[in-house]
Amino acid sequence: MTTSNLLIAAIGVPLAMLLACIVSGIRERMPSLLALAPIPALVAALCADDTPLVLGNARFALSFAMDKPGAMLLLVAAILWIAAGVYATTELRGAVNAGRFVVCWLMTLTGCIGVFLAADMVGFYFLLAVLSVGASGLVLQGGTAEALRASAIYLGLALIAEAFLLAGLVMLAMVTPDGSLLIRDAAAAIPTSPWRDLTLTLLVVGLGMKAGLVPLHFWMPLAYGAAPIPAAAVMSGAVVKASALALIRFLPFEVGLPDFGLPLAAIGLCGAFYGVAIGITQSRPKLVLAYSSVSQMGFLVAVIGMGLATGDVDTPLAASFYAAHHLLVKGALFLAVGVIATTGRRWLWPMLLPAAILALGIGGLPLTGGALAKLAVKPVLGDGWVELLAILSAIGTTLLMLHFLHRLLASASLDPSMSAPVGWVLSWISMFVAALVAPWMLYSATGIGTWSDALQPAILWAASWPILIGAGLALGLWRWGRYLPRVPEGDIVVMGQPVMRVVVRCAEALERVEGVLRQWPVAGLSLLMLSLILGGMMFNGH
Amino acid sequence: MNAPTLFGLCAAALVGVGLYGLIVNPQPLRKILAFNLIGCGVFLLFGAIARRGAAVGMGGDPVPQALLITGIVVAFSATALAVALVLRLFDETGSVTLASDAPAKAQADPPDA
Amino acid sequence: MPHSLSTQDVTSPSGLLLVLAVLVPFIGVLAGMVLGGRGAQRVAFVILAAGLAIAIAIANALVQSGDTVVYILGGWAPPLGVALRADGLAVIMLLAIAVVIGGIGVYARADFGTPPGVREARAPLMFWLLLLAVWGSLNLVFVSGDLFTLYVALELLTFAGVPLVSLGGQPETLRSALRYLLYALFGSVLYLLGAVLLYGAYGTLDILLLAARVHPEPVTWAAAALMTVGLLAKTALFPLHLWLPPAHAGAPAAASAVLSGLVIKGSWFLAVRLWLDVFAGVVTLPSAQMLAALGAAAILVGNIVALRQARLKLLIAYSTVAQIGYLFLMFPLATGLAAAQIDSTAAVNGGMLQAISHATAKAAMFMAAGLIYTTLGHDRIADLRGVARALPMTLVAFALGGASLIGLPPSGGFLAKWLLVSVAITTAQWWWVLVMLVGGLLTSAYVFIVVVRAMAPPSEGWTPRARVPYYQQVAVLALALCSFLLGMAAFCPVDVARIGRAVVPEIGWP
Repeated sequence: MTTSNLLIAAIGVPLAMLLACIVSGIRERMPSLLALAPIPALVAALCADDTPLVLGNARFALSFAMDKPGAMLLLVAAILWIAAGVYATTELRGAVNAGRFVVCWLMTLTGCIGVFLAADMVGFYFLLAVLSVGASGLVLQGGTAEALRASAIYLGLALIAEAFLLAGLVMLAMVTPDGSLLIRDAAAAIPTSPWRDLTLTLLVVGLGMKAGLVPLHFWMPLAYGAAPIPAAAVMSGAVVKASALALIRFLPFEVGLPDFGLPLAAIGLCGAFYGVAIGITQSRPKLVLAYSSVSQMGFLVAVIGMGLATGDVDTPLAASFYAAHHLLVKGALFLAVGVIATTGRRWLWPMLLPAAILALGIGGLPLTGGALAKLAVKPVLGDGWVELLAILSAIGTTLLMLHFLHRLLASASLDPSMSAPVGWVLSWISMFVAALVAPWMLYSATGIGTWSDALQPAILWAASWPILIGAGLALGLWRWGRYLPRVPEGDIVVMGQPVMRVVVRCAEALERVEGVLRQWPVAGLSLLMLSLILGGMMFNGH
Repeated sequence: MNAPTLFGLCAAALVGVGLYGLIVNPQPLRKILAFNLIGCGVFLLFGAIARRGAAVGMGGDPVPQALLITGIVVAFSATALAVALVLRLFDETGSVTLASDAPAKAQADPPDA
Repeated sequence: MPHSLSTQDVTSPSGLLLVLAVLVPFIGVLAGMVLGGRGAQRVAFVILAAGLAIAIAIANALVQSGDTVVYILGGWAPPLGVALRADGLAVIMLLAIAVVIGGIGVYARADFGTPPGVREARAPLMFWLLLLAVWGSLNLVFVSGDLFTLYVALELLTFAGVPLVSLGGQPETLRSALRYLLYALFGSVLYLLGAVLLYGAYGTLDILLLAARVHPEPVTWAAAALMTVGLLAKTALFPLHLWLPPAHAGAPAAASAVLSGLVIKGSWFLAVRLWLDVFAGVVTLPSAQMLAALGAAAILVGNIVALRQARLKLLIAYSTVAQIGYLFLMFPLATGLAAAQIDSTAAVNGGMLQAISHATAKAAMFMAAGLIYTTLGHDRIADLRGVARALPMTLVAFALGGASLIGLPPSGGFLAKWLLVSVAITTAQWWWVLVMLVGGLLTSAYVFIVVVRAMAPPSEGWTPRARVPYYQQVAVLALALCSFLLGMAAFCPVDVARIGRAVVPEIGWP
C-alpha cells in the first residue's frame, strides 16, 4: 500500500460514503456503517510516510501530506471517530431522522480528516468549510430550540473566522515565492513578509475563533451543550484540534517572534483561567466539560505562543502531543457523560472510576497521559512566570475536573438497576483504554522522550502536588459552592442581546430608507446626480 | 451662431425639458411623452452633428442620419410597447399610476392624461 | 503586442458563427410566431440545442485560433461598416448564457407547456418567444463591435424582458412592467446621448477605432458618465434598483430566473466592455471607486433588506440587488490601474467568474423558489416547513446556490472572491476586502434561515399541494451544481478571458 493510496483511501472513503447518501436506500443503511468510515484514516496514520499526494495539473493542484504532528493527531482522531461512531450507531437505532445525522456526521468526518491531511491552502480552506458546515449540522441534530440557536451561532462564527482566514491566506499566497500554495512554503515566508503582523493577526484570530480562544469561545458551551453526545465528543475532540493543528502548521517556529508570541501566550493563559472560573459555576456536566475545553485550548495556545516567542522548533511536536492527549480524554469523557446518565447505582462505580482517572489526568495525574503531556510542553513553556502560571492552571484544572466528577455523579440515573446500552459502554471503555495507553506509546514512538524519563520520582512528585492542592480547593467548592453566582451558558453571548436589538433597529431604518429610494422621483433624480458626480470624478482624476 | 449650434442648443433644451417631465410627472403617459421629448432632443443633436461633420460638398454626414432613423424606429417601438402597457393597465384597473397602492378596480375615472 | 487594425477588419474563418449566434434565436421567434401554440415550444427546444452547439463552436474557434473571432457585416470595414467581434470575455458569456437558458428551458417545460385541449395559450406562447428573443439580444450584446449596434441590442433586450415581468397578467405586474420599461428607457436614452456625443467628437462608433482615438477631455467624460449611468439604471445598481424587487415579486419563477440571471448581465457586460476597451485611458481610479462604492452600498443594503423579507421571492430579489454590487466591485480593481502598471487579468477573471456563478446560482434559486411555491401554495419564509421532505433535491440545490453566493469553496463565488481579494490587497484597496467578506456573512445569514426553516418537519397529515415533475428538480440541481463546481475553472489550462485582449497602449495617455 503506497502512501498515495493510503491518503486517497483516508479521505476518499468517508467522501464516497457521504456522496452515496444521495441514494435514500443507502442512506437508511448507513448508520450501521459509521464506525467503519475512519478505519482507512487509522491505517494511513500508522503506515503512511510524509510523501505528498498531489491532485491536479501544472496550473493548479491540491496537495495532501502527513507530517509528524498530523500523523499523531490523525491516529488519535481516527480512534475517537471509530468509538464515537459505535456510540452513534447504537444511539441511532430507531431514530426517525437518522439520515440527516449521518450526512452531517460524514461531512464532518471528511472535513476533519481532510484538514489533518491538507498541505495546500486552498484545499485546507475548502475542507475547513466542509468541516464547519458539517459540524453546525451536527449541532442542529440536537433537535431543541437551543440546538437551533447554538447551530446558528456556531455557523456564524465559523464563517466570520473563515473570512479572517481567507484574508490571511490570500496575503500569504501573495508573499510565497513561486506562487506556491503549499502551507509549508507559506509558513516559511511569513517572517520576511511585508505584512507579517497583519497576516499573523488574521490567521490567529481566524483559527483561534474556531479553536475556542477567549473572548470568542462562547460558541463552545452552546454547541457542546446542545449537540447529541457522540457529536459533542467528536467536536470537542477532533474538530477543535483541526484548527489547533492548522495554527501549529501555519506559524513559523524557526524564528523567534517575541512581540507576537508573548501576547498570544498571555491571551491563551487568560483563557485557561477564564474557562476554569466559569466552569465551576456550571451544573450540567456537558457544560463543565465545554468550559474545560475552553481552558485547555487556551493552555494549548499559550504553549504555541511561548514556542513562537522563543523560536522553539520542538513546539509543533509537543503541542500536537498535548492536543492529542486532550482529544482522547475529552472525547472519552463526553462519551462517559452519556453512559453515566443512563447508568443506575448498581453499575455506577465501574463506569465512574475510569472517568475519574481520565478527568484528573487532564490536570496532570501522575502515570496518566496527562502527566506526559504536561511533561512534553514543559521545555517549551520555559522557566519563570509562565511556568508558575502553568502550575496554577493545573491546579485550576484539577478543581474544575473534580467539580465535573461531582456533577457527573449527580447526573446518574435514578433507577438503580438501569444500565447503558452495550454499544455505548463498549465505546466508552475502549476510549478509556486508548486514552490510557496511546499517550505512552506516542511519547516514545515520536521521540518526545523515553518512559524512564517520565517515571522518575522527582517528576512524579512535581505532577502530584498540584493535584493535591486542587483536591483541597475542590473540597472547599463542594462546601461553599452554592454562593457562587449563576453564569448563564455561553457567558458573553448574553451581552449580544442588546446589541442585536440595536442591529434590528438599524435594519428597520435601512429598510425604510431603501423604500424611499425606490420612489420614482428620488430614483430619477439619483440617476441625474450620479451622472454628474461620475463625470466630475473623471474630470477630477486628471 | 450658425445653424448647427442653434439646433444643438435646441436639442439641449429639449433634453432638459424631457428630463424634467420624466422625473417630475407622476402619470405614466406624460412620462412616455417626456421620454419622446428626450429622444427628439438626442436625434436633433445627432442631426446637428451630421450637419457639422459634413464633408466638403455634402449636405450632411450620412452615417448619423442612418443611425438616427434606426433610433427613431427604436424609440417608436418603445413608445408603442409602453402605450400598450398603459392601455392594458387602464383596462384592468380603471386608472393608470405607477404607485403600488393604487386601488385595484372599477373606478370610472378617465386615465390621467 | 497590440493588434493592428488590419487583422481586426477581416472576417475570421468561422466568423459566420457569430451571425448565426444572433440570428438563430430570432429565427426561432419568427418561426414560433408562425407556428403558434405547441409549435412555438418545439421550435424553442430545437433552438436551445442549436444555440448551445453554436456557442460551443465559437468557443472552439476562439481557442483554436487564439485570436478574436471577427465578422464584418456586408464586407464593409469600419468606420463605415459594422463589425461583430467575439473575444475571450464575450465567448465566456455566450457559453454561460447558453447553458443557463438551456436549464431554464427544461424547467419551464412544465410551467409553460400549453395545456392539453387548448390549441394556443397566451402565457406559454409568449414565454417561449420572449425567451428566444432575450437570448438573441444577449448574444448581440456580447458580439457587437460598435456602440450603436449595442444600443439596438440593449433596447431589444429591454423589450424582450419587460413583457416577461407581466406574464402573469395581474395589474400589479403590469405596473411593475411599466415601471421597468420607463426606467430602462430613461437609461438607454442617456446611453444614446453619450454615444451621440462620442460620434460628434471622434467620428466613429466602432469600439476598436474609438479605443485608439479617445483621449481625456470634457466631451469624453460627459459621454462616459452618461453611458455608464444609463447602463447602471438598466443593471439595477443601488440606488437605481427601484424596478427590480417589484418586477420579481409577481413574475413567474422561470421569468424571474431569466430577468435576474440573464437580462441584467447584458447591460453589466456592456459597462465592462466600455470601461475596459473604449474608455480605458479616460476613466480614473476615483470614478471606478465610485462605482465600487455604489456596489458596496448595494451589497450592504441589499443583504440587510433581504434579511427582513417575509416572502422567499422577494428575499431572492433583494439578494440579486446585493449580488449586482459584487459585479461592480471589480471596476476599481481592473480599470484605472494602468498608471500603476498592474495587470488587470486576475480582476477581470474574478469579475467574469462572479457574473457566471451568480447567473447560474440565481437562476437555480428562483426556479427552486418556484418549485417551493407550487408545492406549498405559498412562499412565506416563516412557513416553509415540509419542503425538505417534499423537495429534497430542490433544497440541496438552493443550499448549493447559496453556498456559491456566500463564497464557499469550491464554488465559482469563492474563486472570484479569492481573485478579487488578491488584487485588492496588491493595489492596497483594503476596504473592498472588508465589503466582500461582510457581504458573504450577511448572505450566509439568510441562506441559513431559509434552509433551516425548510428542514423543519411538516405538520401532521400535510401533503404537497401539487407534485412537481422530477426533471424540473433535476434542471434546478444541475444549474446549482454548475455554480457550485465553477471553482474547478482554476484547473482550466487555457486563460480564455485573455484571448484577443492584449494590453493596448492608449494614444491619449500622458
